[in-house]
Amino acid sequence: MKLRFALIVLACVFATPAAAKKYGKQVRFAGIHPVPKGEGGGICHIEAPHVHIYAANKLEYRTYADNNVFVGDPVAYGWDGPKYAYKGHHPIQVNAVVGMPEPYVHFCYINGPHYHYWEPPEGPEFKVSGGAYFYVGTPPPVYVEARPAYIGINTYYEPIVYTRPVVEVEPPHGWIMVGAAAPVIVAPRGRVRGGVGVVGGVGVSAGVHVEVPAPTIGIGVHVGGPAVIVGGGGGHGKFKHKKFKRH
Amino acid sequence: MRSWLLVALAAAACSKSGGNKPTSRDGVIEAWKKGGLDPSAFKETKADVGKDCASGTVNKLDVLVCTFANEKEAKQAEDNGLAWVGDSTGVSKAQGEILIVVADRKKVDPNGKTMNQIITLPAK
Repeated sequence: MKLRFALIVLACVFATPAAAKKYGKQVRFAGIHPVPKGEGGGICHIEAPHVHIYAANKLEYRTYADNNVFVGDPVAYGWDGPKYAYKGHHPIQVNAVVGMPEPYVHFCYINGPHYHYWEPPEGPEFKVSGGAYFYVGTPPPVYVEARPAYIGINTYYEPIVYTRPVVEVEPPHGWIMVGAAAPVIVAPRGRVRGGVGVVGGVGVSAGVHVEVPAPTIGIGVHVGGPAVIVGGGGGHGKFKHKKFKRH
Repeated sequence: MRSWLLVALAAAACSKSGGNKPTSRDGVIEAWKKGGLDPSAFKETKADVGKDCASGTVNKLDVLVCTFANEKEAKQAEDNGLAWVGDSTGVSKAQGEILIVVADRKKVDPNGKTMNQIITLPAK
């Protein structure tokens, strides 16, 4: 199963779907995403492919069929819909996030606990512990190759004050963040902003000691039990049985 | 004989509904109203998007609705819909044989919630 998933990743990660036309200053997006502060901030709730007259940054988006697909943490921007907790790096089935058929898998490089608005596919690659998904699969080489281009997302999120998931459990065996594929994780320093104390750094002992910036927020929602953290407005995709389901 | 007639009528009703996809412009407008949106009157208009199009507004958003012969043609016209949107936030989405194009030229829907409703309500 792991091998099959790895092959799919390898086959898809650099796939370039057919180019779409570009009209004027339009920039294409697919799925929900943050709106730049200069454009009013918050979240754009249009799920279908759509256009704006502003750009997407390279750290939080992946390009799929000429659409910018947001793969960051929407809660950081005020998303109040369904959300699922993750910890550490993990693959993202980008096409499934936006309900498109052509497979395209990339990776999320957020080091600590964070949210996405979709669930991972069911299967052995993800384990739930402490209410969060941990990726325990074998990442393909492209995960390491692409990391320098995207690891900066951690510095990008560090100053954003929001309620991150609290995940205070021993990571499951095989978690990517303690594997050989992730030998160096640079942990950003913790900060205190706006009265919310962020204590960075959780020591993980599993053969290799890795400083993982896992912010523990003094005020927050403790996530325990089910991985599905919050229900909310419908219409958002999630993975089930390797297939994407939309409500 | 009577039961056969009932089955045939039921089948015809099902096929006419086309699942949960709209089959007419009026059906789309009705779906918006049922969903709490406020569509204006829609007038026939000439657009490069399709041959049978009408434009109007929904909650102050500019909307174009075009009817095509089949789902494939409607889907293929999505890109032309984006050309109609121009330099503004917008979306072009086929729902069955109907193409719905929305442009927020007056910037009245900064979070896209209404635009998302406009393109999803007719499919529900």
